[in-house]
Amino acid sequence: MRERKLRGRPRSSGSGLGSPAGKGRPSRPEGAWLFRGGKLQGDTAAFMLPADCSRRLVAELQGALDACAHRQLQLEQSLRVCRRLLQAWEPTGTWAWEPPPEPETNEEDPLPACTPSPQDLKELEFLTQALEKAVRVRRGITKAGERNKAPSLKPRSIVTSPGTTASTPPQSPGQAGGHASDRRPTKGLRQTTVPAKGRPERRLPSVRDRTRAGIGARAPRPGAGLRNQHMAPSAAPQAPEAFTLKEKGHLLRLPAAFRKAASQNSRPSSPAGITVSLCGSWGAPRVHPSLWAQLSSMQTSDSMDAAAAKTQFLRNIQTASGGSQPRLSAAEVEAEARRLRKACSLLRLRVREELSAAPMDWMQEYRCLLMLEGLQAMVGQCLQRLQELRAAVAERPPLPCPVGRPPRASPSCGGGAEPTWSPQLLVYSSTQELQTLAALKLRVAVLDQQIHLEKVLMAELLPLVSAAQPEGPSWLTLCRAAHSLLCEGGARVLTILRDEPVD
Amino acid sequence: MRRRRVDPAAGARAGALPEAIAALSRSLPSGPSPEIFRRAKFDRPEATSALWQLLFRVLSPLPAGNALASIALEVQARLVKSALCSQGYPRLALAQLPEDGSKGSRELLLALSWLLARGPVPEQMLAQTRVPLGDEMTVCQCEALASLGPPAPHMEAEGPVDVRHVQWLMGKLRFRWRQLVSSQQEQCALLSKIHLYTRGCHSDQNLGHLSVTEAEMLRDPEGGQKLLRTLEHESRRLEAVLAWRRAEPVFWQWMDTVLGTCAPEAPAAASQPTFLPWVPECGDGELELVVRELQTLEEELREAVERRRVAWEAKARGCGRGPEWSAARRASRETVEKELGALQRCWEQDSGPAPAHGPHRLVRREDGAAGDRDLRAAELIRTLRSQEACLEAVLRQLQGQCWQELAGLAGALPGLIWIPPPGR
Repeated sequence: MRERKLRGRPRSSGSGLGSPAGKGRPSRPEGAWLFRGGKLQGDTAAFMLPADCSRRLVAELQGALDACAHRQLQLEQSLRVCRRLLQAWEPTGTWAWEPPPEPETNEEDPLPACTPSPQDLKELEFLTQALEKAVRVRRGITKAGERNKAPSLKPRSIVTSPGTTASTPPQSPGQAGGHASDRRPTKGLRQTTVPAKGRPERRLPSVRDRTRAGIGARAPRPGAGLRNQHMAPSAAPQAPEAFTLKEKGHLLRLPAAFRKAASQNSRPSSPAGITVSLCGSWGAPRVHPSLWAQLSSMQTSDSMDAAAAKTQFLRNIQTASGGSQPRLSAAEVEAEARRLRKACSLLRLRVREELSAAPMDWMQEYRCLLMLEGLQAMVGQCLQRLQELRAAVAERPPLPCPVGRPPRASPSCGGGAEPTWSPQLLVYSSTQELQTLAALKLRVAVLDQQIHLEKVLMAELLPLVSAAQPEGPSWLTLCRAAHSLLCEGGARVLTILRDEPVD
Repeated sequence: MRRRRVDPAAGARAGALPEAIAALSRSLPSGPSPEIFRRAKFDRPEATSALWQLLFRVLSPLPAGNALASIALEVQARLVKSALCSQGYPRLALAQLPEDGSKGSRELLLALSWLLARGPVPEQMLAQTRVPLGDEMTVCQCEALASLGPPAPHMEAEGPVDVRHVQWLMGKLRFRWRQLVSSQQEQCALLSKIHLYTRGCHSDQNLGHLSVTEAEMLRDPEGGQKLLRTLEHESRRLEAVLAWRRAEPVFWQWMDTVLGTCAPEAPAAASQPTFLPWVPECGDGELELVVRELQTLEEELREAVERRRVAWEAKARGCGRGPEWSAARRASRETVEKELGALQRCWEQDSGPAPAHGPHRLVRREDGAAGDRDLRAAELIRTLRSQEACLEAVLRQLQGQCWQELAGLAGALPGLIWIPPPGR
């Protein structure tokens, strides 16, 4: 028996990413040490793939890399926008907390600028109660020592005392700017109800000020609850606090023009909804369905005349044309190929199931046998269909298109379903759920990509491995690479030890 | 030029046709004026280039952009021809038209009508450029990690490449996947926060909170104005499409007359001008893979079935033959047939009760209540998990197959010890 002595330890197989060796970098690849009579030699042999194989593999991988980069770019753009929104910014234009355009002497009296309808008043009442409740809750949350009931809006200087988290000075000119912009007859303003609405909202920021300013060192001022606001309205817009979505997001209102356009355009769920608005001056509630919804309903009930006319026209044009019988168009070939791909994966899974099932009695065994025979017949049919398709495709040599091509439909997707025109809703209930959903979607897409790459690699590498001469270090490189790519998805590398007799 | 009316008795219809054509041209992006259509009926040359461009817009798989506008007319014409050919357009005259836009407007008009008859073209184009008001997530996987066009020329490998470079690319890809996962998690968290903070704002009770687009509009009023203008533009086009649908029958009658003025074509000679397909979707490579898979499957099945059939026959001979025996066998056959039929339907039909294509608007609700036409995230998660399990099984099986083959090859060589990485 040959005495075997293995000197040294093989380096542990690479963890994490696969071999990071770039082209041409001389290095000891992980995992293969050759012992030749005791002398250690690094293996730097390259294995060069044939040119067409290289081209195909690199093209596939590069395509996958580009697709990921594209998606990453989209995500980063979206992230930029979201981050910006969550910082402090200026909602110019429509802003629910709008100071009234004309100065008031006593803001306690309801302004006669407009007479709010009783419904408005009732809604305002609800809103006020909700806000008061919010204040109570928030007060309960804030620590006792920091509670501060002073109306902090009156003198700016106090509020901008150090230690507060009040925003920077740009807020006040901005706010004044906002004030000025409110005067401008932008479409989004609802001037008439501003006074009525301004009051309850204005209370809230002051409470916010209190709780936030309370973090700093401030003398507590006596104050009752919300009604203790004797601030001049001109001081109101001078709130130095930055607007953040967190604090005041729920006070935002979309501009009326936009709301009108959006509801005319699309209403996501209710087919003929009535726009409920808290602002009575906006107008009579709309009752007719949105344009997209009309389009969908028209789609489903296509008029008989039009449909008949269209089929007639198509038939006429066919008979008047010199073209041969409609051959399979490329689009149909693609659809058929997609179906057959799906068939293949479904069949394969089923075959696995049947083969691994252990029949209990003769009945089950019989059923299993019949099943397998049926599957065999189906596989045969699919193969035949595929051969026909291949013959049809082979007539036309494909060429790269200068304009780009539509995305490759993933095999997991059903494909071809009639799209609904107006978007439906997707309801989620927590951040966790949304993250899980998005992560799963991404995982399925990545798995699709991985499976596709696996098939391509199998088609390219396995023949090479079986045909290559099993000599020399380059063959080892090939084996190691093939194993890593095909069996580990490129994640890990195996170790090959050469077994040499000790001289 | 006064249009010669084909049907003099169409008093009431006289105004309907121009209206229909006007609605059609309004509903298509950069649609030509109705005058172009009328000229095209009489095969006037001045209408040709506008129709080439319109057909190009309709047939191009990408949404409109600056890149498309700068393509020369000849190139556009060529691409239109090959696209129509690949869709199976029957008329030969189109293929023979000169590409400089000097003649052939009537043929182009016929081609446009052919496309309009086959599918809802204005709606599809509108859906391509739809303004998303909400935060959208697609439910189907159609464009999840879609591969884009052919790689840029300088990126293509020239000449043989070391297999370790392929390993390196794979590693890079794995890293990008991880990056995507973490970026996406962050984006979802931020999105969810924005939805949470703007609760109670939206005028539409069903939605309940603002989307990022809407909040962004409040932050940036210029952007908001742009959005508003685009929205209104889209609404105008929607109205045009609706008007077109209502007035369609008149158009088709007119098109029949246009077709009538063309001479019928002679059946094609043996050789047809071959066109390079616009979209080289499934080159031979894709089909090859499937064929190979199915062939291996067939082999495997053949062996297994033979073995089992022999075993079964031997066993069956031993058991008697009674009436209940044959009844049982018939019952088994029927069940198997039904199951196989169901399996076949799985891929024959494109999609059964699968969720609709296209994007859905994300809405956050604490209670998770949803109307009947809405989707719930929890259900989607369930579906996706089963899909994931399915795909993982496929991947594992493929990898196992590779391992067997490689191990077979390696085992043939003495003197080498293969130590697979831990975990396998």
